[in-house]
Amino acid sequence: MNLFSRRARLVVAVMIAFCLAGVGRCLAEDAKPFAKLDADYTKSVRPLLTRFCLGCHSTKKKVGELDLEQFTTLARVRKGTRSWLKVVEMLDNGEMPPKKSAQPDAAARKTIRDWVERYLSAEALARAGDPGPVVLRRLNNAEYTYTIRDLIGVPLSPAKEFPTEGAAGEGFTNTGNALVMSPALLRKYLDAGQKVARHAMLVPDGIRFSAGDSRRDWTDQLLSEIRSLYGRFTVTVKLHSHYNLPRMSHLGNAGQVPLEPYFAATLVDRKALTTGQVSVAEVARRRGLNARYLQRLWSELNQKDQSSLLAELARRWQQAKPGQEKELAEWVKGWQRGLWVFNPVGLIGKKGSRPRWMEAALPLLVEQELKLPIPAPKPKKEAKKKTADKDEKADGKTPATITVSLVVTDAGDGNTNDFVLLQKPRLVLKDKPDILLKDLLKPAREPQPKLPQGHRVLDASHFGKHPDGKAIDAASICVQAPSVIRIELPVEAAGGRELVTTIRLDARTGADGSAQVDLVSGIGQITAGLKASEVNVTYGKINIGADVRDVSFRNAVLVSESSPARSRFATAMTDHRSLFPAALCYTQIVPVDELLTLTLMYREDDHLVRLMLDTQQAARLETLWDQLIYVSREPLRHSDVLDSLLETTIDHPQQGIFDQMVKDVRKRTQRFRQRLKETEPQHLDAVIHLAERAWRRPLDFADRAALRGLYRKLRTLDLSHDAAIRMTLARVFVSSSFLYRLEESPVGETPAEVSGWELASRLSYFLWSTTPDDQLRQAAGSGRLSRRGPLLDQSRRLLSDPRVRRLATEFACQWIHVHDFDLNIKKSKKQFPEFTKLRGDMYEETIRFFADLFQHDRSLLGLLDSDHTFVNKRLGDFYGIPGLKGDGWRRVEGVRKYGRGGVLGLATTLATQSGATRTSPILRGNWISEVLLGERLPRPPKNVPQLADEVPVGLSERQLIERHSSDAACAKCHSRIDPFGFALEHYDAIGRRREKTAGGVAIDSKTTLPDGTKIDGVDGLRGYLLKQRREAFLRQFCRKLLGYALGRELQLSDRPLVDEMLKRLAGNKYRFSVAVETIVTSGQFRMIRGTPADRGKP
Amino acid sequence: MTHRFSRRTWLRGAGVTMALPWMESLPVWGDEPSKSSQPGSEAPVRVGVLFAGNGFHAGHWWAKGSGSKMELGKVLEPVAEFREKMLFVGGLYNEQALKGNIHSSQTGNVLSGASLASGGDIVSGTSFDQVIARHYGRSTRVPSLVLGCERSNPGIHKNYSMLYSSHISWSSPTTPTPLELYPALAFDRLFKNRVQKGEQSVLDAVLGEASRFRRRVSRRDQQKLDEYLNSVREVEQRIEGAGRSGELQGWRPTLEKPNIPRPPNGIPQNIKDHMKLMCDLVVLAFQTDMTRVCTLKLNNDHSYLQFPHLGVEVGHHELSHSDRGKQSPDWMKVNHFFMQQYAYIARKLDAIQEGERTALDNSMLMMCSSMMSGIHDATKLPVVILGRGGGKLETGRVLGYHGKPNRKMCSLFLSLMEKCGVRMKAFGDSTEKLAEV
Repeated sequence: MNLFSRRARLVVAVMIAFCLAGVGRCLAEDAKPFAKLDADYTKSVRPLLTRFCLGCHSTKKKVGELDLEQFTTLARVRKGTRSWLKVVEMLDNGEMPPKKSAQPDAAARKTIRDWVERYLSAEALARAGDPGPVVLRRLNNAEYTYTIRDLIGVPLSPAKEFPTEGAAGEGFTNTGNALVMSPALLRKYLDAGQKVARHAMLVPDGIRFSAGDSRRDWTDQLLSEIRSLYGRFTVTVKLHSHYNLPRMSHLGNAGQVPLEPYFAATLVDRKALTTGQVSVAEVARRRGLNARYLQRLWSELNQKDQSSLLAELARRWQQAKPGQEKELAEWVKGWQRGLWVFNPVGLIGKKGSRPRWMEAALPLLVEQELKLPIPAPKPKKEAKKKTADKDEKADGKTPATITVSLVVTDAGDGNTNDFVLLQKPRLVLKDKPDILLKDLLKPAREPQPKLPQGHRVLDASHFGKHPDGKAIDAASICVQAPSVIRIELPVEAAGGRELVTTIRLDARTGADGSAQVDLVSGIGQITAGLKASEVNVTYGKINIGADVRDVSFRNAVLVSESSPARSRFATAMTDHRSLFPAALCYTQIVPVDELLTLTLMYREDDHLVRLMLDTQQAARLETLWDQLIYVSREPLRHSDVLDSLLETTIDHPQQGIFDQMVKDVRKRTQRFRQRLKETEPQHLDAVIHLAERAWRRPLDFADRAALRGLYRKLRTLDLSHDAAIRMTLARVFVSSSFLYRLEESPVGETPAEVSGWELASRLSYFLWSTTPDDQLRQAAGSGRLSRRGPLLDQSRRLLSDPRVRRLATEFACQWIHVHDFDLNIKKSKKQFPEFTKLRGDMYEETIRFFADLFQHDRSLLGLLDSDHTFVNKRLGDFYGIPGLKGDGWRRVEGVRKYGRGGVLGLATTLATQSGATRTSPILRGNWISEVLLGERLPRPPKNVPQLADEVPVGLSERQLIERHSSDAACAKCHSRIDPFGFALEHYDAIGRRREKTAGGVAIDSKTTLPDGTKIDGVDGLRGYLLKQRREAFLRQFCRKLLGYALGRELQLSDRPLVDEMLKRLAGNKYRFSVAVETIVTSGQFRMIRGTPADRGKP
Repeated sequence: MTHRFSRRTWLRGAGVTMALPWMESLPVWGDEPSKSSQPGSEAPVRVGVLFAGNGFHAGHWWAKGSGSKMELGKVLEPVAEFREKMLFVGGLYNEQALKGNIHSSQTGNVLSGASLASGGDIVSGTSFDQVIARHYGRSTRVPSLVLGCERSNPGIHKNYSMLYSSHISWSSPTTPTPLELYPALAFDRLFKNRVQKGEQSVLDAVLGEASRFRRRVSRRDQQKLDEYLNSVREVEQRIEGAGRSGELQGWRPTLEKPNIPRPPNGIPQNIKDHMKLMCDLVVLAFQTDMTRVCTLKLNNDHSYLQFPHLGVEVGHHELSHSDRGKQSPDWMKVNHFFMQQYAYIARKLDAIQEGERTALDNSMLMMCSSMMSGIHDATKLPVVILGRGGGKLETGRVLGYHGKPNRKMCSLFLSLMEKCGVRMKAFGDSTEKLAEV
C-alpha cells in the first residue's frame, strides 16, 4: 500500500464521515468541557478520593487491581478511562467504600459520582467513532463452514472435528482474541483444505464442486443431472414392460412425452386459445407444460389439409371434450407401436448393428406372410377350448372343426382398387408336406348359412378366380376389401399345424389400392377406418457376431410398390412420427441391463432437443453431456473395455466386424487425451478465480504468480495434474488470506476507512457469517460501497435474505446463551425422558423466531411481546398448543395464552437457566438481570451456603431459594435477581408450563421486583420489562449487536453510537434494520485504527 | 536442507521474527534438551496434568502421615494403593485467582498463575506444562498432547470469557492451546504419518504469502499472524521429520508402535468410555515416547457433564454446589470416578517397566482443580502428585502449606519444571521453588 494513496483515501473518508450521522464529532474535539472538568477534579474530586479511596487504591497497595493514586491530573485520568468505569460500577452497586471504612456523606458521594459521569460523557463524545482495538479475526468454525459452503455451493461440514471455540469481546465467538491458532489446528486446516479439494470436479472449462469426492460419485451426479433435465420434459418408462418385448431384449428406459396433460390443455383451454384470449405460452406456464411442444401440438391440431393420420387425430380432437384426453393419447400411442422400433445399444458401432436405439419402422408392405398356429386337440375334456368350436358336440368331445378368419379392410380410404390376393393358404408342419387349403376344403355347404354383409365361409369354389371372374392362381383366392373370410379347418388335419398365406394386392386390379389384412382365430369382424399397425421385433441370440432380429407387423398397410397410395401413407406416417416420437430421449444412458455391451454411455435425445428445448436448455444439455464424458473419462474407459473384449474374443472368428469400431474408438481416445491436456490451464485459472473469491480481495500479480508457481512446483514433484490442482486448492483454503480477515492498517495515529473489499467482508460476516456474494463483491469492486446509499442498499438486501438465519444462530443465540443448545444442554433422563427428542426442536424454534424477526424487519419489542412463535407438531404438543396437524414447521399466532411468544417463553432459555432436575429462579433471575438488562452483579461472597440439588419434600424450588437468600450476606444480590426468576416459576426445568412443582406444591409466581414493582408471572414480567425497563433492555440489545458487529468489547467511545441507535429505534418503531443501519454506517464499523510507522520491524 | 536454509533466509529478508513469540517473555535457563538424550542417559521425566473442574468434596480431601502409613481422605481412596509414590501438597493457591470473579477467572490461570484479562479480552500466561513442552521441544514427535473430555462453552461469565473455564494449558499468554476432544484424532496426532506429497510446498507458499501481508497489518494483528506463521512452521517441521525415524540415542522407549487399535471416529457417547480412551492415550504417548507432556482436562470448570452410568443425573457444576452438609453421596461418587481415572493412568504406568524403574516412577502425574470445592474457594487448591519424577521427587509425603508464607502454586511449578531441566528465576507470581519439593 502506498502511503500517498492511503492519505488520499483518508481525505475521502473524512468527507464521507461528515455525511454519516454521529461520526463527524470524533474529528474535532471540544476543549471546553475538559477545562471545567480539570478544574473540578483538582478542586473537589481529588481531595475526596484521597480521603475515602486512596487508603486501599494507592499505587502501592492497588487493591482490586485499582490504582486511583496515579490520577494526579485530568490528563492522567484520560489515559485510564477503564478504571473510572469501574469506579462508577462500584459506586452504583454500593460496594465501595466497604462498610467498615469511613463513608462519604451523600453530598460527597454525589460530587464524585456526578463528576465521573460528566467526565465519562465528555470523554465518550471526544472519542466517539473510534474504531477501537479490533484483534485480527480468524474465521471461526461456523464462519469457516458457511464460507466454504458458499464458495463451493456444496453443504460440507469441514470443521466438524475442530476444537470448539471460546468467546471474547461482548461474548461472541467471532472475536479475534478468542480465535487462536496452533500447530494442531493448522494441521486440521490443512487436512480440511485437502478434503474440500477432493470435492472439486474438474470439468472442461473449469471446476465444479460436488457433494461426492470420487470419479464415480461425480459420474453419478452428472448422470442424475442429465436425467433430471430429461425428467423436466418427459416421463421415464421402462421399455421392457411397456412394449411387451421378449425377455432378453432389455432396451433401457425411455423418456416419453406425457401426452395426456398436453391434450387436456388443448381441450380445456380450446376456446380461450382459439379466440386468442390466452396465449399458448401462458397455458403452458400455468399447467407446467413445455410451451414449445404445446405450441407445436396446437398448430398441428388446428391445421387444415393434414396428412391422413394427423387429420384423423384432428378429427377426433374436434369431437373430443375435456376429460377425453386419454382416448386421444391412446390413439397416438397405438400408432407409436407401429411406427417405431427399439434396438439394444450395447453393440452400436459394430459392423452390422443397427445405428440407433430408436428407429423408424414403416408398416407399409407390398407383400406379407400371415401365419396363425392352429392348436392341437387337447386329450382332456376339461381343457376344451371355447373359442372357435361352433360344432361342439353335446357330449363335450373335441369339435370337428376350428374357425379362423382372414379380415380384409380398406385402410380407411375407401375400397377402390383394394383387391387383395391371398396366395396359397396352406397348413404347414415341419418335415411334413404342406396341405393346401384348396385341397382340404370341401365344396360349399348347401344351403349357404345366413351371414353378415361381406362375410363368407371359405370353400373350394372360392379358389382360382378374381371377384371380377378372371382366373388367378388355382390355389389362391382374391377378395375386395372389406371382407371377412371364415375358414373352418377340420381339427384332425389342421391341429398342430400353422396356417400360412402370403398376401399382396392384385397386380392387375389393385395397383393403387391399400388394404389391411389380419389373420385371427374365431370369427373376425369388419371395422371401419384405418387400424393402427403394430410392429413386433424378435431378437434372436445377441452375440458378438451378427444381430439376429426379426421384424414383423400386424395390421400393416398393404400397398403396391411406388404407388401414389404408398406415398400418401408414407407421408402420413412420417408426419405422425415427427410430432409423436415414441421416445424423446434415452434416459437410461448407461446400458447396464443389456446382455452384452461395449457401450459405456449412450446418448440419444435429438427428438427432445428438436421438440422441446430452447437454445439455453439445449446448450445446458450439451454442457452436461460434455462434462459427463469428460469427468467419467468415458473415451479412455471405452478403449479399455474394447481391449478386454478383443482379448477374450481373439479365438473367435470375427470377420472384421470390429475393425471400424476399433479404429473409431482409438481415434476418439487419442483426441480425448489431447483434450485433457489442452484443458489443464482452465483448471488452474479456475483455482485462481476461486482464490479471488476465497480471499475476499482482488489478487495482485504476485498472488497469481505464486499460485501458478506452486502448481508448477507440484508438477515437478511428480504430482499428476489432478493432484496438483487439488493441492493448489487446498493451499487456497489454508492461506492466511482465507483463514483470517486481514485488514490493512494505515500508518500513523489517525484511523482510516477500510477498503471497499474489507467493508464488504465486514458487512457480509456481520449479517451472514460468510464471504461476500457476487453482488456485494461487485459493489465493493466498483467503489460504490463506501457511499452511504449503496452501503445501506446492500445492508438491506442482506438483511432480507434467508441467510440472515445465520445472524440468528451466531448472534442471537449466543447473546441469550442458547448457542448449540441441542448439543450442550442435558437434563435428567429419569425426570425428563422426553427432553432429548425435543431439544433439537426447541433450538430450531429459537433460531426461526430470531431469523423471522431479522429478515422481516420487525420491532425489537417483539423480542419480548410477540404473540407468535414457530413450532412443529412435537414442540406444539409440548407447549400445549391445540389443533396442530402435519409435522412441518409453521408460524403459530396467539401463543401468549399458552405462555409463549418472545424470549421469555422460549423453552431453550427456560431450560438453559435451570438445573438438570429442578428449576433455578436464581439462574433465570440472573439471566434476566445480566443478559437481558445488562446489569452487573457484584461477586458472590465467599463460602456461600449450598442448596440441595434435589428439592426437599414439601418445598417448592422457590421456597428452597427463599430460605437460602434470607442470609443477610446473600440477600443483597439475591433480592436483585431472584424475583425475576420467581416470575417464571410456572415453567419447569425443560420449559413446560406447570401449575405445581414435581413435589406437588402449588406454584407461586407473584413477586416484588428490586424497584418495588409487584408483578405476577411471565405476563407481569413481560409488561415490566416492556414499560419500566424498555430502555435498559434495548440498550443491552444494541450493545450486544454492536459488539458482535465489531468483533470486540464495547468501550466508552461507543456510548454515543449506542445512544444514537436507541434514539433512532425509538423514532422508527424499533425496527431491527434501524439498529443494523446505524451500525454499518458508523465510524466504528467503517474505519480501522492506524498503527505507528515503525511496524513491521522485528 | 539447503531448501530450508534458503527459505529461512528469505523470510528473514521479509522481516519475520523467527523467535517464537511465546518464549519472548519467558527467560528460561535450562539444560539443552539434547543432553537428556545423550547415550546411556536415563529415561526422561514425563509430566502429566489432570484437571477436574469445580473442586472436590472439601471435607474428604486430606492426607496425613507418610509412606505406607499415610492416611487418606475418602476422596483419595482410589489412589490409596500408590501412597508411597504420592506427594500430597495442601494449602497452595494462586494469588491472581482471588482477584477476579468466580469460575472462569479462577481457572484460566491455574497452571500459570498469571493475571487474567477481564471484559472481552483474553490474556493469561504460558502454563508450566507448555514451558516444559517447549523445553523438551523436538526430542519427541509431538511437543505435548492437550486433551479434553468436554466441549468448551462459548460465552462470557461474570465478565470473564468462559474460554478460561475450559483452557488450563496455554501456549502463550494469548493462545489457549486448543483441546483435542476426539480420541481418534489424538491417536492420529501421535502416530499417523500422513504426509501427502506436496504438502510442504503448500506450507512454504502460505508462509510466503502471510509474510508478505504481515507488513501491511497493525502491530496487534502481526502478533496474531505470528501465531499462524509459527503454527505453519511447526507443521512443516513435523512433515520434514515424518520421514525420519528414531534418531534418539541412548534411552529407548519400551514400545515402538501403538499396542491398542486406533479409537473409533467420533466422540464416545458415554463419558466413562471417553475418559478411558483419553487415559489410554496418555499412557500410550508416554510409553512410546511420542510426547513427554500430557495435559488432560477431564471436564470444564463450570461443567455440564452428567454421569448416568453412576446413576447421577445432576450436572457436575450443579452437583458441586451441594458439598456442604454432606447432602449428596452422589458428589462423592463423582469425585471417586474422577480419581479413578487418575488411578487408572498411574496403574498402567506403574505396570510398565523401564529399566530399574516403572514408567510411573519416571513421571510426575498431577491431579488438580481450580477450587477446593464447589463454593468457589480458591484459597487452597486440591493438588496431589503421583510418580517420582525419575527419582528426583521424594514421595510418600504430605506437605501442608496452609499458613506458610510461600504457598504459591507457581512455586510448585518452579520445582516441577526444575526436575524436567527447566530452571527459571520466576514463574507466574512466584520467584522461589517449594524447598520441600
